[in-house]
Amino acid sequence: MGGAEEILEPSGSVAAQPRPPTPLVMVSAINKSFGGVRALRDVNLEVRAGEVHALLGENGAGKSTLIKILSGVHAFDSGAIEISGRPVAFDSPAKSRDAGIAVVYQDLSLVESLSVGDNLMLGREPLARFGFVRKRALMVQAGAMLTQLGIPLDLKATVGSLPFAYRQMTEIAKALMGEVRLLILDEPTSSLTSDEVRILFDAIGKVTRRGVGVIYVTHRLNEVFEISQRVTVLRDGANAGTFVTDDTDMKRLVNAIVGSDRSTPAATRAEPQAARPVGMSPVLSLSDVSNDRLRAVDLSVLRGEIHGLAGLIGSGRTEILETIFGLRPVERGALEIEGRQWLPNGPADAINQGIALVPEDRHVQGLVLDHSIERNVTLSRLPYFSRWGWMQQRAAAKRAEAAVRKLAVKAQGASSLVRTLSGGNQQKVVFGKWNDPRPRVLLLDEPTVGVDVGAREEIYGVIRNAVRDGSGVLVVSSDLVELIGLCDRISVIVNGRVARTLVRGEIDDAEELHHLLQLYQAGQDASKGAPQELPA
Amino acid sequence: MTELTAPNVGAAPTRSDRRRKLLQNLLRGERPYMLYIAFVILLVVFSLSSPWFLSVDNFLNIGRQTTLVSIVAVGMTFIIIARQIDLSVASTLALSGMAAALAMSQINNSWVVGAVAGLGTGALVGLLNGILTTQLSIPSFLVTLGTLSMARGLAMMVTNTKPVIITNETYFAIFGEGTFLGMPVPIAWTLAAMIVGILLLHYNVFGRRIYAVGGNPTAALYSGINTRWVTTAAFVLTGTLAGLAALVLSARSHAARPDVVQGMELDVIAAVILGGCSLFGGRGYILGTLFGSLIIGTLNNGLVLLGVSSPMQLVIKGAIIVAAVAFTKR
Repeated sequence: MGGAEEILEPSGSVAAQPRPPTPLVMVSAINKSFGGVRALRDVNLEVRAGEVHALLGENGAGKSTLIKILSGVHAFDSGAIEISGRPVAFDSPAKSRDAGIAVVYQDLSLVESLSVGDNLMLGREPLARFGFVRKRALMVQAGAMLTQLGIPLDLKATVGSLPFAYRQMTEIAKALMGEVRLLILDEPTSSLTSDEVRILFDAIGKVTRRGVGVIYVTHRLNEVFEISQRVTVLRDGANAGTFVTDDTDMKRLVNAIVGSDRSTPAATRAEPQAARPVGMSPVLSLSDVSNDRLRAVDLSVLRGEIHGLAGLIGSGRTEILETIFGLRPVERGALEIEGRQWLPNGPADAINQGIALVPEDRHVQGLVLDHSIERNVTLSRLPYFSRWGWMQQRAAAKRAEAAVRKLAVKAQGASSLVRTLSGGNQQKVVFGKWNDPRPRVLLLDEPTVGVDVGAREEIYGVIRNAVRDGSGVLVVSSDLVELIGLCDRISVIVNGRVARTLVRGEIDDAEELHHLLQLYQAGQDASKGAPQELPA
Repeated sequence: MTELTAPNVGAAPTRSDRRRKLLQNLLRGERPYMLYIAFVILLVVFSLSSPWFLSVDNFLNIGRQTTLVSIVAVGMTFIIIARQIDLSVASTLALSGMAAALAMSQINNSWVVGAVAGLGTGALVGLLNGILTTQLSIPSFLVTLGTLSMARGLAMMVTNTKPVIITNETYFAIFGEGTFLGMPVPIAWTLAAMIVGILLLHYNVFGRRIYAVGGNPTAALYSGINTRWVTTAAFVLTGTLAGLAALVLSARSHAARPDVVQGMELDVIAAVILGGCSLFGGRGYILGTLFGSLIIGTLNNGLVLLGVSSPMQLVIKGAIIVAAVAFTKR
């Protein structure tokens, strides 16, 4: 997306610096098996100082295993790892950290009840006598660090009260405390808006200028072209190519990721699909709906329509879905479902009306991770599998098997624990909760976050099937390319209000949509004296 | 992090895989092997060391002594799977017993009145626990710590700490001293509670909801489950079962006393945890709870037969509980 110039500039200056003769990290012919299954086969990876090296591959390709080996979580079976020419073998995460490797995982590791400053300095608090913490010195040190990184965070804010994006940035800042030579970022932008991505990329630029090497794991190919200098692709636990970013293109990368036998490259999703006849009757409409986060929302979802909600984090996109699903009260205004007046009274009521929600955070809101696929899939439809309250175990199991098959969930069976599945397959299970009966309105909140390229395509297929069968879809996404590729109409949400609704064809470029969002946000801030909800 | 498991899909598990899985199951208590093994070891040890242990009479004795804990533990299983705790069960039992005995002495000396009063009082305390926990969002640990004290205080207040004598022979026969299909009725009631528990937890929609609420309350809410109602129902069930236990106890002793079974909540919780429930919610099963309470009952019985002093019994019991939980924790 936009701003590639600003991003490439700092890294460009790195390229101009004399490069050390030995690479920062040299991984040669690493093998790793888990219980007879080979997760990595002769994998090579070379990261230079000051380089952003993108690591791509579908879920299950071996990226996470490689990262866990570098971070000392797993030991490798054979091969060698050298850091600045010296062979190393980490038998614990602490050893890896001592060698200057810092990892930011997808799962956050912050103490929610503590402030940003406390979290950053956790374990390295400046101490006075008798172990008392020098609170002021702590804040000063943390503040200096943040300034140096250029990450705008309120040190005193409690982490638990921050929006997800800011927690993520806290996490990254925390990883950079101390002497870091190699920074590993595992899908850091999966929940960030484009502005926040920009801030993150700036921070990465500052870090690489100091000579730190960065391994950047992502599913978003456009980011690869924005910040990385080289790319390594893994497929089925083996190298599928290393490219100089400037000398390759999206098509070649996609081919390397999915293998040449796969004919539907992810990049095609950016191409708008052929216009689909959309029914004219709204399945769901909101008029003047207001509550503590929404201000007079007018919105309609037509039968067979995919309606997108674009906006920055905190704009009220998610809150619109939550209000429709009965998780937030409607204080003013009205909803109509297939022409009937209806006021949502809790999720159970919304589900009875044929509304389904695939929530933003599947681990917290979507799934019971320690339970089987079957238990998760049937949870939302229990009344369908019971007579007088008694479970009809066979019907439930059948339905779960059907969902697993229909959504192509890669699992041994419906009795597999959801925790053991990859992100994409977990998300398919969340979709499976609403597979049967077909919902009237399918609400999707960031449906492809943390989902690999292949599974992402499959999820788009699921969404398109749903509208073909007559559902209306309302989808929130920070991935503007995704919105444009998917939606018939896109509503721009600014400060809890629908600022504008675009019809397919009005805008078909993510860059343009991005500028529009910025424009509306700026206008809003100027006219309203910028009531900022986000800490700056 | 997801990739470790992905390559396993479709691959046949090797023998070492299977062996490791079995071991994990044993250690985590996901399957009840560990529990059964522990129970058998206990039986063998006590049989070898006490000549009185291995007899039908003694086993019936253990069964009878375990009744109260077992009955209440069925309810506690629901509570703990739902990620809650109920510390008030022993006090609820005492209060319910007093209510049953007083109601009978006031109204016609009818056993039906006594049973309804006892069960109803238990259900009411459970309802109070549930409502305070879910509507005021007070952690159930604190709510039931409060009702533990209140229920016990009420039980003592109603008669100024004096016991209430029961004289209804039918009541004794039904809840305490009769036999049903050759079983002493306390054991029959225990089995009945177990069966109801198994049906509700493993074959009813209510059980699915309980597991979901304990496994991930937010996901349960987002799946359209009324998590407050489900949690409250678990408390009501537990209170009612405490009421049933009160009927059994008072029928056996021909009287209700306000100071009975103090501290029994700890045995109940220990039985449930020993039985494989996770204190973090979302896991557990009724049969495990049965064996958990049998282990506690056998320990109590065996240690007495061995002539272990009662302070030493407490120490040994506590140590065994901690060790067992260390093995079964996730």
